Amino acid sequence: MNPYILATLLFGLGLGTTITFASSHWLLAWMGLEINTLAILPLMARHHHPRAVEATTKYFLTQATAAATILFASTTNAWLTGQWDILQMAHPIPTNMVLLSLALKIGLAPMHSWLPEVLQGLDLTTGLILSTWQKLAPFALLLQIQPNTSILIFLGLTSTLVGGWGGLNQTQLRKILAYSSIAHLGWMLLILQFAPSLTLLALLMYIIMTSSLFLIFKLNQATNINTLATSWAKSPMLASIAPLLLLSLGGLPPLSGFMPKWLILQELTKQDLPLAATFAALTALLSLYFYLRLSYTMALTLSPNSPTGTTPWRLPHLQTTMPMTIFTALSLFMLPLTPATIVLLTF
Amino acid sequence: MTYIVFLFLVGLVLGLIAVASNPSPYFAALGLVVVAGMGCGVLVGHGGSFLSLVLFLIYLGGMLVVFAYSAALAAEPYPETWGSRPVAFYMMVYLLGVVLVGWALWGGWYEGSWVSSDEMFEFSVVRGDVGGVAVMYSSGGGLLVIGAWVLLLTLFVVLELTRGLSRGALRAV
Repeated sequence: MNPYILATLLFGLGLGTTITFASSHWLLAWMGLEINTLAILPLMARHHHPRAVEATTKYFLTQATAAATILFASTTNAWLTGQWDILQMAHPIPTNMVLLSLALKIGLAPMHSWLPEVLQGLDLTTGLILSTWQKLAPFALLLQIQPNTSILIFLGLTSTLVGGWGGLNQTQLRKILAYSSIAHLGWMLLILQFAPSLTLLALLMYIIMTSSLFLIFKLNQATNINTLATSWAKSPMLASIAPLLLLSLGGLPPLSGFMPKWLILQELTKQDLPLAATFAALTALLSLYFYLRLSYTMALTLSPNSPTGTTPWRLPHLQTTMPMTIFTALSLFMLPLTPATIVLLTF
Repeated sequence: MTYIVFLFLVGLVLGLIAVASNPSPYFAALGLVVVAGMGCGVLVGHGGSFLSLVLFLIYLGGMLVVFAYSAALAAEPYPETWGSRPVAFYMMVYLLGVVLVGWALWGGWYEGSWVSSDEMFEFSVVRGDVGGVAVMYSSGGGLLVIGAWVLLLTLFVVLELTRGLSRGALRAV
């Protein structure tokens, strides 16, 4: 791809998210989402591989459906209440319609099935953009609407359940990452109405953790569990860090992935929802199972291999490792900073 | 005027049924054209004559391309339409659905049609839609710039997606 075109498309990605962030009018918010979708399509199909093109087509169809539903819902809202303001969306029908279409856009549980398929067809860098940057604009809208609480809790719980359940039988890393994304987004949606700052916190933590995992997989050029099993020979340091990172995604205590889960469970309990909290915590166990399996193949066991397979050349890496380092450090050691993070994110 | 709007509405429903009842692409595209025309007529009935003109010209310009493509891609010797049995069946089902929904939501209608709401336009200098266009060009300038930029971006997106000739996955089989 021509670098000028690449720059234009990346600028389009930024522009779309910025417009959605800055808008208080539904039409502009919709425009931002559409720009986002448009700008990422050529990046997804960059290599013109049939799988990538299939993934692009699926992504386009899903996002176009969701965007059309958002437009329909906001027009209905304007028709019923006479204004286009995002924060003043009062009528329940368009509000819930917008909630469902945004759920389709970010891949929440009953509307999730496109996400693993699409992510599996992309290379890891584009997958990283798709599962981090592309979630920001829909979440900015989700934080501004006031939908029905039971629908939110239903979406959240099914997402955590399906995200854990669907990942169990996968051997492809990108599909596992997609299911992990579904599960984490479920946690965010669960707390959306009770403590929006915790949603933001969980989103930021998820972005940090998943970015470092994507970058590590990219450095190892690993797309399935088999490749992961021999990656310790390529870079032993990463092989010792990655299990901790996976456990941080699973939400185990001394690591910073525990922070959002801990605070969300605490808030849910305070809001008199012990059943939802228990169910969410139990479904996190399902996710933890496949994270554990990844860490097991990566570092907790030595799979039999030939001498040439275990002693490859360790050449200096050509790709920049600084972002990976920062994200990894953040996703391992941020738990002691919990009070400061909460203060920063409370609005 | 109510009578003409009534005719337009009937045409709109028939055209939508023609699209939805799944005939061959020729007739589906024709149905879309009919829907566009009739929708513009309804818009005129509600005071948006300039808007409906813009919609008619631009939308039908796009429709022409769609029609040409669908006619070129689906070279059927015997295109199916309302005469064939399954299509006629779907058509009856959709018609029944429209009648039922219409019967349920009949309330605010007048003489079986929509009231033409373009009243007292004799007393104002500009009509609503022209005024809206003026507002868009005066205070919506930044938005227009963004819109133009996005159109350029779309052009690049399409070119980038369709390039690659035989290597690409988007190609004529």
